Amino acid sequence: MGYIIPIGPYHPALEEPVHTRLYTEGEEIKKAEVFIGYNHRGIEKLCTQKNYIQTISLVERTCGICSHSHAMNYCMTVEGLMGVQVPKRGQYIRVIIAELERLHSHYLWLGIALHLIGHDSLFMTSWDHREMIMDMLEELTGSRVNYGACTIGGARRDLNDLQIQDLRDMLDKIEESNKRIMDIGLTDKTIAMRTQGVGILTTEDAIRIGVRGPHARASNLPVDVRKDAPYSSYEDFDFDVAVWPSCDVFSRVVIRILENISSISIIRQALDNLPDGKINLGNRIPKVKAGEYMHRYEAPRGQLTYKVVSDGSEYNKRVSIHVPTFKNAPSIPTMLVGNSIADAGLIIASIDPCFSCMDR
Amino acid sequence: MQEYKRIDITKDEIIPTARRMRDAGVHLAMIHAYLETDGTAVVSYEYEIPNGIESYTVTGESVLPTISDIYDLGAEWPEREIMELMPITFEGVDTSQRLFMPDTMIDGQGQILVIPMDELIAKAHGEEVEK
Repeated sequence: MGYIIPIGPYHPALEEPVHTRLYTEGEEIKKAEVFIGYNHRGIEKLCTQKNYIQTISLVERTCGICSHSHAMNYCMTVEGLMGVQVPKRGQYIRVIIAELERLHSHYLWLGIALHLIGHDSLFMTSWDHREMIMDMLEELTGSRVNYGACTIGGARRDLNDLQIQDLRDMLDKIEESNKRIMDIGLTDKTIAMRTQGVGILTTEDAIRIGVRGPHARASNLPVDVRKDAPYSSYEDFDFDVAVWPSCDVFSRVVIRILENISSISIIRQALDNLPDGKINLGNRIPKVKAGEYMHRYEAPRGQLTYKVVSDGSEYNKRVSIHVPTFKNAPSIPTMLVGNSIADAGLIIASIDPCFSCMDR
Repeated sequence: MQEYKRIDITKDEIIPTARRMRDAGVHLAMIHAYLETDGTAVVSYEYEIPNGIESYTVTGESVLPTISDIYDLGAEWPEREIMELMPITFEGVDTSQRLFMPDTMIDGQGQILVIPMDELIAKAHGEEVEK
């Protein structure tokens, strides 16, 4: 006899609101469905009532983790519509903040995953790193969450020598400790037993469903916007696109740890080669011609896309925001089928979902 | 800077374009839609090209064929979202359950789902909502 088990929209095993229905026989999940939209705030509608500068602050608040990704991608979309080029130093500063954000997002996810797995000591180590990164972001931008680091035409704040040295020191600490997390993550029996062979998404399914970001790379699919369609000078940096072939939750853990290594490397390269000059094009209200433009961005959780339609006025005519979770959440039912109910929370969390972001 | 190219197509070209793209291994980045101020629907199928996006856009059609049989869930979720938030229909999509918001929620009629509080209160009291 089968049971239908609802999880969410509000449930202790979930970090954010989503509704999942599990159709079970005994402990085994036979079918699953996902329903979204419980945190819809009408941000796209609000954008049409704001001018281009006001919109930056609004879209930055779409997500409490990847806030810079939203602000930066919106700015790059408007810059694409205007056809302007951001000064090189401004591009590099944007990349530094973006990679710090990726590090803090990955450590956040690792902590949550390790807590669900039952490895609380590594969870605390991971979040300790995240605290260091958030403190660093506060030193660089004045804020731990909404950094306000981007404006249309460049970066809003320059970096001074003291900040650069503090950032280098922090990276040294994080890098050393990340090696320890990797050693334990790859060899610990508890982690292996809870994650290997659990929540499998094959490469074929990943292509069929169209997932993107670390979730796709953990299914052995080498896609990364920073390589495929470089923006903000990412072509200047030497880094590899990490992929892992096991296609399970373990693979998703490994991918985040590997990506932390490449993010540290990118930040160091940006600091070593930080160009001189202006950081932005000045504090002017942008003149945006009528038209439309869409920009892809590699956010910590995957591909973030912004499309802006302009009628030539000072207000957005339309802003479309599609976040990584909207691309990755359709894969949840496929990953859940065949697994036990006890693993459902971990499998849902393994896509690193941000339902608040997705519902916008 | 990433490239962005808009290509206007007709409703009849949606499926052949999607098939051609899928067969060439091109990823469907997203389906976007919005309404002009006069209510004209604009729907864009955004395909990833090596350094940007090719946007195949259909204007003035509010009933379109689904491409979820070609791009699976990568097309079905955006189509269902658009159907629930705007007066645009994709023929062939399973609408037996809502994706976005509970089944009891009233349909979105504007560009996106923002419902005035008086309508929500009227709905909660089982009263007829004037559209």
